[in-house]
Amino acid sequence: MSLETKMKSTLDLNLEDFCEWKNQEKQENTFHKPEKEIIIESLFPEYCGYFGDGQNMKYLQKCIPEATFINTPLEDIPYFAEHDVDLLYMGTMTEHTQERVIQKLLAYQERIKQMIEKGVHFLLTGNSIEIFSQYIEKEKGEKIPGLGIFPIYAKRDMMHRHNSLFVGKYEDIQIVGFRSQFTFAYGENAHCYFAKVEKGIGLNPQSTLEGIKMNNCIATYLLGPICILNPDFTRKLLQELGIEKPTLAFEEDVEKAYKQRLKEFENL
Amino acid sequence: MRNKKGIKFYLVLYLAKMSRIALKIVGRDATYFPGKLAVTLCPDFLGRIEKPKTIIGVTGTNGKTTVCNMIEDTLRENGYDFIDNHLGSNINSGLASTLIEGANLKGKQKKELAVFEIDERSAVKVYPYITPTYLVCTNLFRDSLRRNAHTEFISQMLNDYIPKQTKLILNGDDLIVSNLAKENARVYFGIDKLPTDTDKCENIVCDMVSCPVCGGKLAYDFVRYNHIGRAHCTKCDFCSPKIDYEVNHIDLENMKMQLRNGESYDLINNNIINIYNMLATIAVLKEMGLSQEKINQSLRKQKIVDTRFSKEKVGNIEVITHLSKGMNPIACSRVFDYVRKEKGNKAVFILLDDLHDAAHSSENIAWQYDTDYEFLNDESIKQILIAGARYLDGIVRLQMAGIPKEKIVAKREELSLVESLQLEGIEKVFILHDLYAISLKNKIKQQVVEKIKGEEAK
Ligand SMILES: [Zn+2]
Repeated sequence: MSLETKMKSTLDLNLEDFCEWKNQEKQENTFHKPEKEIIIESLFPEYCGYFGDGQNMKYLQKCIPEATFINTPLEDIPYFAEHDVDLLYMGTMTEHTQERVIQKLLAYQERIKQMIEKGVHFLLTGNSIEIFSQYIEKEKGEKIPGLGIFPIYAKRDMMHRHNSLFVGKYEDIQIVGFRSQFTFAYGENAHCYFAKVEKGIGLNPQSTLEGIKMNNCIATYLLGPICILNPDFTRKLLQELGIEKPTLAFEEDVEKAYKQRLKEFENL
Repeated sequence: MRNKKGIKFYLVLYLAKMSRIALKIVGRDATYFPGKLAVTLCPDFLGRIEKPKTIIGVTGTNGKTTVCNMIEDTLRENGYDFIDNHLGSNINSGLASTLIEGANLKGKQKKELAVFEIDERSAVKVYPYITPTYLVCTNLFRDSLRRNAHTEFISQMLNDYIPKQTKLILNGDDLIVSNLAKENARVYFGIDKLPTDTDKCENIVCDMVSCPVCGGKLAYDFVRYNHIGRAHCTKCDFCSPKIDYEVNHIDLENMKMQLRNGESYDLINNNIINIYNMLATIAVLKEMGLSQEKINQSLRKQKIVDTRFSKEKVGNIEVITHLSKGMNPIACSRVFDYVRKEKGNKAVFILLDDLHDAAHSSENIAWQYDTDYEFLNDESIKQILIAGARYLDGIVRLQMAGIPKEKIVAKREELSLVESLQLEGIEKVFILHDLYAISLKNKIKQQVVEKIKGEEAK
């Protein structure tokens, strides 16, 4: 399938609106155009966009309409398998889907490892972090092997759902977000964590370090539209993707909402 | 799991009954505490207490309460005597309260029929002890992500716990529901393809994309909304079920619907979700042996309760209030779709913030991004007025939906919204509100009515 047909078949249904909007934005945003084309691939959005996660890439589309966004369905060969991508995104999915996604990605395990080593950007939100873990342990001890890339494993308990709010420090950026999950993760992430906990929990309630960061691969249990909730984070991500002075979509409003949330979370 | 009564049971029953009497004497709500007390002191109380001979259960994500109301009103009018939990909660303790009230001091039920609304998330605490004779499942959608996670979790739980003897009355247009408890006896209700159906899902959320048998990709013959529609597998012979109670014609002009078996029913509301609610009611009552005449005679007189839907003409403008459960993406999307498809120019109030979180925490707004705010991006919607603790998130979400900022009024204080309402050219004002914002909705409606009257007097 050519890239163009792939995009046509998989982009969301308001393609016309989007193209119209994209054309307008293109004129306004030419000043931050990067030197080379940015390619962003979302893996299996028809299955892995639960709880608003799917909107992270829609937001990036609004911020950098000049980039190429590829949505790869589960039955297709991932674009990254044969081409370079600048950012690979995957979001939250159901437990059953986790097993299907692991099966799918096992064929590309080495390629994924190489990409992480090479410094390709990854953003993995919600329970997609577990796909890259050593294994997921079910209630009765059965283990589902993961891709074995991250030095952590997850324990699942479908009768107890953990919900919490999160504030943490990722380098100099305060990250806000939400947790809602049936699992806790364990293992050593002291040398490869994503954010230091200020409010909320890390890999598990005893941990003060949230998520994983290996080179430019970021994986976090935070779910929902984290790119919309965290303008400083998104700006940094766009800079790292090669956009010198990124302008965020609805920047002023996104900033106000972020500041309000941060203040609320800190006061809780 | 059926348990003998024993001394502990009687002791708990008396205590619960006494607490109920005491609460009533002091004028307090007695629908919650007695049952809560009983299941706390005696965790298998629901198993020990006698149940009425026939139990109609109603479960599902959306429409449970409305369907129960319709079933109860129809049964009552046709001379049936029954117990129900419509004043109490739909979890195990609420059912216990109802059964305690319905039992005499020997623990015997005074009535032979019960209508229970049953929370789908409470399956694990209810079905080991209660075997519904009939269980209606209206639909299964994403609901509160904190409590209900996702539909796979809920449907698995229902599969694990629905008793084998229960006859299921299932929405055959919902591929998650129609695949529940495959070994149980069942009938399906559904609505044949409508002119408004599409061939692709227009919603953000579709929780049924692959075949439950082989994992192959599903092809939709038509999509009504989200995963509601009819589909078949592209790899095996799995497909939507054959429908037993199927609407094959809807006449909105004359407010009537026709079933494939030739029966005709009067519609009490033109919203597709309420047509499904009526159909679920008809299916279970027909299974119980009620005739079309008896059902229709009663159903046609009913109306959706005011706390859920109301319509009032003030001068030349219609003021419509519509329940739109916050944190429930599909319920809100259905309402947004309804609003955009209503005729005329509209202004829309949105009051969906969780009031409890607003007072004590900070709401997880991820659900807003599973909700089709995009439907509000419609030429006929001239102004959107949004207020509450999450008003700043609201501005962002509406812009993500492509809605121009000029159309948006967003304020922290709900009661200051109406001063910004622009009525020129507006034919309908919608007030969409959360379940727990009834008094707020009433105040805003009052303000809107006064503003319309004031402007018309000028
Ligand atoms: Zn199949």
